[in-house]
Amino acid sequence: MKQLVLVVIFVLILTTSLVKNSTKEIEDQIFVINENIRPLKSKLEDELLEFNYLSSPEKLVQYQTRYFEKDLIKIEIMKIKEITENNENLEINDLINKNDNE
Amino acid sequence: MTMNNRKNIILEEYENEFSYKKSKTNLDIQFNRIAFIFFVFVMISIIYSVQLLHLGSLKSGGDARSIPNIKDYRADIVDRNGNYLVKTVSSIDIGISPIEVIDKQKLLINLKWIFPKKDYVKVEKKLNKNKFFKFEKTISSSNYQKIMSLGDKSIRPEERLTRIYPQKNLFSHIIGQIDNENNGISGLEKSFDEKLKQSNEPLKLTVDADIQFLIREELVRFQSIFRSKGSAAILMNVNNGEIISMVSYPDFDLNKREKIVDLNFINRATKGVYELGSVFKTFTVAAGLEEGLINTDTEFLNLEKRLKCGKNTITEYDNKIPPDLTVEQILIRSGNVGSVRIGQRLEIIKLKTFLEKIGVLKKIKFDIEEVGEPIPFKWGKCKLATVSYGHGITTTPLQLAKAYAIISNGGFDIEPSLIKQDSENYQKKKRIIKAGISEKITPILRKIVATKAGTAGLANIDGYEVGGKTGTANKTSIGGYSNAKVNTFAGIFPTSNPKYVLIVLLDEPKTSSDYVYEYKNKKGSYTGTPFNTAGWTSVEVAGKIIEKIGPILATKHIEN
Repeated sequence: MKQLVLVVIFVLILTTSLVKNSTKEIEDQIFVINENIRPLKSKLEDELLEFNYLSSPEKLVQYQTRYFEKDLIKIEIMKIKEITENNENLEINDLINKNDNE
Repeated sequence: MTMNNRKNIILEEYENEFSYKKSKTNLDIQFNRIAFIFFVFVMISIIYSVQLLHLGSLKSGGDARSIPNIKDYRADIVDRNGNYLVKTVSSIDIGISPIEVIDKQKLLINLKWIFPKKDYVKVEKKLNKNKFFKFEKTISSSNYQKIMSLGDKSIRPEERLTRIYPQKNLFSHIIGQIDNENNGISGLEKSFDEKLKQSNEPLKLTVDADIQFLIREELVRFQSIFRSKGSAAILMNVNNGEIISMVSYPDFDLNKREKIVDLNFINRATKGVYELGSVFKTFTVAAGLEEGLINTDTEFLNLEKRLKCGKNTITEYDNKIPPDLTVEQILIRSGNVGSVRIGQRLEIIKLKTFLEKIGVLKKIKFDIEEVGEPIPFKWGKCKLATVSYGHGITTTPLQLAKAYAIISNGGFDIEPSLIKQDSENYQKKKRIIKAGISEKITPILRKIVATKAGTAGLANIDGYEVGGKTGTANKTSIGGYSNAKVNTFAGIFPTSNPKYVLIVLLDEPKTSSDYVYEYKNKKGSYTGTPFNTAGWTSVEVAGKIIEKIGPILATKHIEN
């Protein structure tokens, strides 16, 4: 019985060291991936910042006045329709329902 | 001899065969060995743990030392759609050590080529002083490459973290400023100082950059039309208190890091404490309905044209107002005397309790520290009369927005907020106004905008079911009132199922002689502002704002 306990302890130590060894490899891989992600994340943030600046409302209004002033027209909200799919049928409704009481 | 030896051997064998005690002793030794091995393991693990702890403490201390600029770190701030409002980026400053300059003239020519706009008379003076100086802050990567390609040893690049604001002025009052020691000194930078320094995740706000821009654009435009001292606007979700936009004008560019000392730059939306006038009449009527003392069709007959209370005389703004009015008509036509009569029916305690309940009497808790405190006053018979129609009582536009949100959302308490929370964290707050009051008030607010008798017809934008109440008040001065005005419009939309409250406040507007008004409730237009009232100023601004932001709110705005 006591020998069995010793064997179990030995097996546990062995498996722990094996598992630890294999997780160490995974940890190394995770570390390398994280280190590779870090500059990409930083680059993404910088690109996003640039995108936010270039697509900021102030810039868009500038582009509009410079390039599309005559091409863009204002559409009345009451004329906008909403398309919904209902049992494979398309339903077209007003986006804003005019209140009957008015 | 050999025989004897054999016998001896046999005897010894026998002795061994029966020596069980010895065998037991062997087992004991084995267990003692295991205990010893465990002891050794325990000791090793203790030493290992101590070593680990020691290394851990070294690592945390070492990080702070190895990255000197970490002290300047602050988390980014984004709007509800994830657009950057504030971003911490690393930048490079260029310094020059004059002692190490070999040829000053050659260096100056090279610097002029890269940075042509700098004042080189000053630079030359600094070079002659032989002391290290900062030549240029936050240079672009292309200029960095150019300046480093000069290969001059006297040029010293210094990397540091800096905070940039891509939206410039747009959120100046909300975000606030930081000082040179990286401490927040106003706005969210101050109230969330510790969090911003410690968090790796960006702080997500409830505001929408596109809507904020459109509202600010209208305030800027009308600032020049009505020549007001300043203006403010708040757009808030009535159901959860999320502030979608909050603009106070004039504002400032956060990138310039200027010291703001001019009081005209205060955050009028939260810090400005104003007497807001007739927008309070909605509260008087709502309090009367809440207490069951009146209904919307309750009639008030033989209303006087003027009332005397102490030294003050209360008169009607509109002389054509009939003497017999229902509660609904009093609110639509903004009757002062009728409101006083409702207030008198309520009595002090009930009106005061109601105003306290909707949060207009005391300082409000908010995400930024720049919050004004309503001026306390002593209640009396005359005070009850003036408070009933919104005079002699002050509050902030933010609190006005909160009060209108509660009145229109079914009577549920809300807290205005700038910080975006997960939708599951939002819990329906407790009801503080009886059910059915909102359903009685919102149709009246709609009529104020949609009917000719109402005072806010210019905000009747087709498709958005705008409702609201106007408020025109003279500003207080020493010993009384001045001619300067504060014109306010408190709007809600859509009135059939209120989602947004919009407050527009113009501080000291003037009439415009050439502005063309397009009528909404009838055909035609009108040139020039006939009266310096909210109906002709702040309502027009609110109408234009709703016209611009309405399509975004109706089509793109996601409620999460």
